[in-house]
Amino acid sequence: MHKFLALLIISLVVGCNNNQNIDNNNYDDPTLPESGGALTNAMIGEPNNLIAMIAGDSASSAIAGQIFNSLLKYDENLGFEGDLADSWTISDDYKKITFNLKQDIKWADDEPFTCQDVLFTWKKVTDPDTRTPYGSDYQLVSSASCANNHIFIAEYDEPYAPALETWASLHILPEHLLKNENINDTYFSLNPTGSNYYALDEWTTGQQVKLKTNPNSIHGRPLLEKKITRIIPDLSSQFMELIAGNIDLMNINPIQYSRVFPSRSELNDKINLYKEMGNGYTYFGFNLKKKPFDDVNIRKAISYAIDKEEIINGVLLGLGEEITSPYKPGTYWENKSINKISFDVSRSRELLEKSGYQLNANNIYEKDGKPLAFEILTNQNKQREMTAVLIQRRLQDIGIDVSIRVIEWASFVNRFIKTGEFEAVVLGWSLSLDPDQYSIWHSSQQGPGQFNFIGYNNPRVDTLLENGRKELNNEKRKQIYDEFSKIIYDEQPIIYLYAGYGLTAIHKKIKGVKKITPPAGVFHNDYEWYIPKKFRRNEMSL
Amino acid sequence: MLNYLIKRILWMIPMLIGISLISFFIMHLAPGDITSNESAFNPKASEESRQKLRELYNLDKPIIVQYGLWLKRIVQLDFGSSFASHQRPVLWEKKDENGNIKPGLIQKALPITLLINLLTILLIFSISILLGTIAAIKKNKIPDRMITLFVFIGFAIPGFWLALILMYSLGVVNQVLPISGLHSIGYEQMSKLAQILDLLKHLALPVFISCLSGLAGISLYVRNGMIEILNQDFIKTARAKGLYEKKVIFVHTLKNALLPLITILGLSIPGLIGGSVIAESIFAIPGMGKLFYDAVLMRDFPVVMGILTIGSILTLLGNLIADLAYAWADPRIRRGLAK
Repeated sequence: MHKFLALLIISLVVGCNNNQNIDNNNYDDPTLPESGGALTNAMIGEPNNLIAMIAGDSASSAIAGQIFNSLLKYDENLGFEGDLADSWTISDDYKKITFNLKQDIKWADDEPFTCQDVLFTWKKVTDPDTRTPYGSDYQLVSSASCANNHIFIAEYDEPYAPALETWASLHILPEHLLKNENINDTYFSLNPTGSNYYALDEWTTGQQVKLKTNPNSIHGRPLLEKKITRIIPDLSSQFMELIAGNIDLMNINPIQYSRVFPSRSELNDKINLYKEMGNGYTYFGFNLKKKPFDDVNIRKAISYAIDKEEIINGVLLGLGEEITSPYKPGTYWENKSINKISFDVSRSRELLEKSGYQLNANNIYEKDGKPLAFEILTNQNKQREMTAVLIQRRLQDIGIDVSIRVIEWASFVNRFIKTGEFEAVVLGWSLSLDPDQYSIWHSSQQGPGQFNFIGYNNPRVDTLLENGRKELNNEKRKQIYDEFSKIIYDEQPIIYLYAGYGLTAIHKKIKGVKKITPPAGVFHNDYEWYIPKKFRRNEMSL
Repeated sequence: MLNYLIKRILWMIPMLIGISLISFFIMHLAPGDITSNESAFNPKASEESRQKLRELYNLDKPIIVQYGLWLKRIVQLDFGSSFASHQRPVLWEKKDENGNIKPGLIQKALPITLLINLLTILLIFSISILLGTIAAIKKNKIPDRMITLFVFIGFAIPGFWLALILMYSLGVVNQVLPISGLHSIGYEQMSKLAQILDLLKHLALPVFISCLSGLAGISLYVRNGMIEILNQDFIKTARAKGLYEKKVIFVHTLKNALLPLITILGLSIPGLIGGSVIAESIFAIPGMGKLFYDAVLMRDFPVVMGILTIGSILTLLGNLIADLAYAWADPRIRRGLAK
């Protein structure tokens, strides 16, 4: 018994002091691109369904996106370029989009791709029997047709500016394989046939999804022969697999990025870190239908009392940015002329007093005998919880009594958000690529389950959002959304807290990754990535 | 005896209906349904389409109607399909007209969990009986104290923490064991023997971790049972008539001390199909624990109900088997039943 315990302890202690397995490869040696090899990746969840319009989870879209194409896609600067379409034209009244499809391309099963496939996909996504939550954008198309096998025409009753974005996010499905299938539960969703770089090789339930190159890929052959995505739900386990060299890349968190890597030089010899603007932002939102949040001065006072820089440093270890409009910093739609509301206690007190609040004996602001107190609600998300705590502390300092409640997601949405029974929330929205924010800010979108649940209502903003949807001229559109961003920031119906960076760690044996990450993200050119032969794993399966 | 058996089995039917009714209602008490998962907050997904989904899944109907529909299917042994967008069958694979097979969720997850749990129980019981016996013989001496200390350390150590430490020291630093997952890459190309070895290597840590916390209970149970019996008169008699100590311990004492373990074994039958969410997440094992946990979070009612139903059937069967086994092993109880 003694021996066993002693052995256990020794093995742990010695084990931890031991050096890393010596990896003698010098990954910085220059190499030339060569095809072949397998990239191993990890994901926290298993994809549901590889028909993205049905799936709705991010794991599914990530895998399906490598198998299917849309009509359009984003280039590295987030402009549009052709995917299945070679080119497209928009009519002068903005109501008709004509897509010229690529000719002589084939599905992975050698059947030709034609306009009928596009038409079929549009019919499916708008079919009331299809279990998709994404149909509404495509129902705006009043008529879709094929002029011939290579020209697809979508017509709208009203100009719809986000239309191009919607055609960049609809995966086109093969009609010949699906016309007699029930799209909701077809086997195709587990074993799809697409047109993009990769095709499904093998899917081991709960363990891994393996992709192989699609010989008929419409963009030619990628260099990496296989892509293996392992399903590892725990991020610490993923990280261990990464440093043990069993997976080649993963998304890491701020602690790993700015604490673990800098302190361990041996990791930096074999792993590169990449930082890019993330896809979402975190905000502090008010229920505008409840007092005292209907008062813009109170909202601004709270905004001045919150130190956003402190939150970014505390929660994200500095790996994020403040934003002033709901668009990715540095992209076209960001309104750069807005002045930030920065941490200013005296300004905050001034505004509170202007609204009639006075400090009471307990150092809490009160008005007509009612103290300024409320509850912040958030879901089980570590970063949001920490954010709420930092906000609570700052507001306590100034004299606002705040409590925090953390709730599981489904309960959070159904019990509090849908019923409007909340005072303030810490939540996130995505930083959309198209500037349209109609469903979040238009006053008509306040019903239960709709997204303007904070109850924002401003006729000018309504008009701007309506016009913005109809304006296809980018410059004019930019003016509209600049004004929209400015009004929202002036009124502070939500306080923008931060937009965090996406952090990716990629093993140095993966070559061809762009040193400077383009706006479209580090994965944008992954068809050019390669693994030099000498660095490949000994994989019998290849 | 046969009457007793039939009575017990018939009693299981109303019990099962009761259990399923309560589970069904409690499940629906939690706010939300399948439409309030991720896509609930995607601005591109409209409320109308979510309402449409609710209607498709009959989630707009009163709960009692939904329960009726569920019960109607379940008596035909149809556990339905998952609400999640993959629409996989809950229990067993289904073939479509083209001969393509959609694997069942429980069908895929259960064998893995069963294997881990069987190995775990086997190890727990064999190690515990050994440790408990040693502790009882050396009662209040150093080996007894050391064993108690060890099993309690094992009981008290947070499993996930130890798991991560071991994964790091054995998987990353020393690379003797795989870190996570069930199979190595290239598993399909291995020989049968290599495949089994590969699987065992992957299971070593998860099984070790889940064993550790189970040792304390059973080994102390064995130890105390042994001590109690060692103090009884018939053991004195055995020793007095000069039996070898080995025979006293292993034949007369241990046999009697093990009787109560049968109950524990029976009660652990339903536990066989339950996995630990934490261990399965850390080790990336697609077992029952994670399946159930995800289904609860997603409000995937058919999967939740499917696992609960199978769990309750196994619990009731486990109780029955434990009682029968007890009667088989202990003549005193057998006679009581016969009367």
